Amino acid sequence: MPNWNRLQTNSFLECSARDRAVGLVDEGSFVELGGPFDRLVSPHLVALGEAVENDDGIVTGVGRIGARPVFVISQEGRFIGGSVGEVGGAKMVGIIDMAIDFNDRLVAEFPDLPPSARPLVAISFETGGVRLHEANAGLLAHAEVMDALQRARHKVPVVALIGSRIGCFGGMGFVAAATDAIVMSEFGRLGLTGPEVIEQEMGKDEFDASNRALVYRTTGGRHKYVMGDANFLVDDTVAAFRAQLADLCALPVSSFEAMRRIGSPELVEKQLRGVALAAELKPSDARDVWRHAGNNDPVGLADGPLADFRKSVRRLAL
Amino acid sequence: MSLETIEFTVAGDGRSVSLSRRAHCGVVGSGDLEVLLEPKTADAAVSVRIVTPVKGFDALWKRVVEHFVAETGLSGLSIDINDNNASPAIVALRLRQALAEAQG
Repeated sequence: MPNWNRLQTNSFLECSARDRAVGLVDEGSFVELGGPFDRLVSPHLVALGEAVENDDGIVTGVGRIGARPVFVISQEGRFIGGSVGEVGGAKMVGIIDMAIDFNDRLVAEFPDLPPSARPLVAISFETGGVRLHEANAGLLAHAEVMDALQRARHKVPVVALIGSRIGCFGGMGFVAAATDAIVMSEFGRLGLTGPEVIEQEMGKDEFDASNRALVYRTTGGRHKYVMGDANFLVDDTVAAFRAQLADLCALPVSSFEAMRRIGSPELVEKQLRGVALAAELKPSDARDVWRHAGNNDPVGLADGPLADFRKSVRRLAL
Repeated sequence: MSLETIEFTVAGDGRSVSLSRRAHCGVVGSGDLEVLLEPKTADAAVSVRIVTPVKGFDALWKRVVEHFVAETGLSGLSIDINDNNASPAIVALRLRQALAEAQG
């Protein structure tokens, strides 16, 4: 086990999946379930002769924040780009279902249990989405995770944490969007089609994936915060992500409804207003949208310290 | 195109340094590996199992692990490795890290 105190000041971006899982919950409280010693390797990779990992690139377990049981899923980007296949997806579903079952049992037995003592799910994303080696099994795994999020709705809050190297793209971008709240650092990136894939499909004129500034101002934490895709923008430390998660742990599940992006007729209407705005504004760059949201100096705002950004940024109202 | 599984045992040198608990270290990234060390009570030998996509390096794997066992005097454990094209130096480093984790 890594030293918990030392982990807290570490860059979230630099942390392995297991370090994030351990550091996000209270000291010494993380218990890994379906860990490397359970040897849950992907049978698809074995058949293809590809290197396997005993946790299939996803750390799952349970810990505590205060009195709240926190069920943790943490993805490892260094193993095949954090791609999610059949086994990894099943581990995610298993943990979410475990949280739901535990919640149901607790609420049945202790109806007066305060929200701060009821289960919550935290997912630390670092993934490009479906593991292409596993084809339909990988796609199905994503669908099953989406299903599990639906089952958790109104029962167990699901919080996404995005601030790791690979970002959160592809099918898992959809999954993140379907969670109740999203916490990002400015180094976190969130999207559906990743920059390299857009460049490959549409050409360098459409999107230059080697242009880091462009990539970050289109998919990075600051932009996602302006757009309302991310609910919270925190510093790049384990402690900062943990503090935000701890704040959310105080809230009842009903309070998470207002943070969601999808899942109600009102939110569909809001999305449609966004589409209409895009058609009217015809933005050629993320800066155009920042300006429209009321930020007169988007370049200065993007380059300044994060604390100043948080203080002065105007977020898009739809 | 299939995964290679290399299995062998290394006899300890009689110093019988044993593990008190199991340990895991590393991520199977490109050029990297994960190591699992587990104490076993059945016998004093070191059982080794390596899963790798690379063929033809059985003798080298054996030398690296034998060197690690000789250096540390370990006995009565199993070493389980999932490899993805790691160099011998990286393998030696991760074995050391896993041991530090088990003793830390």
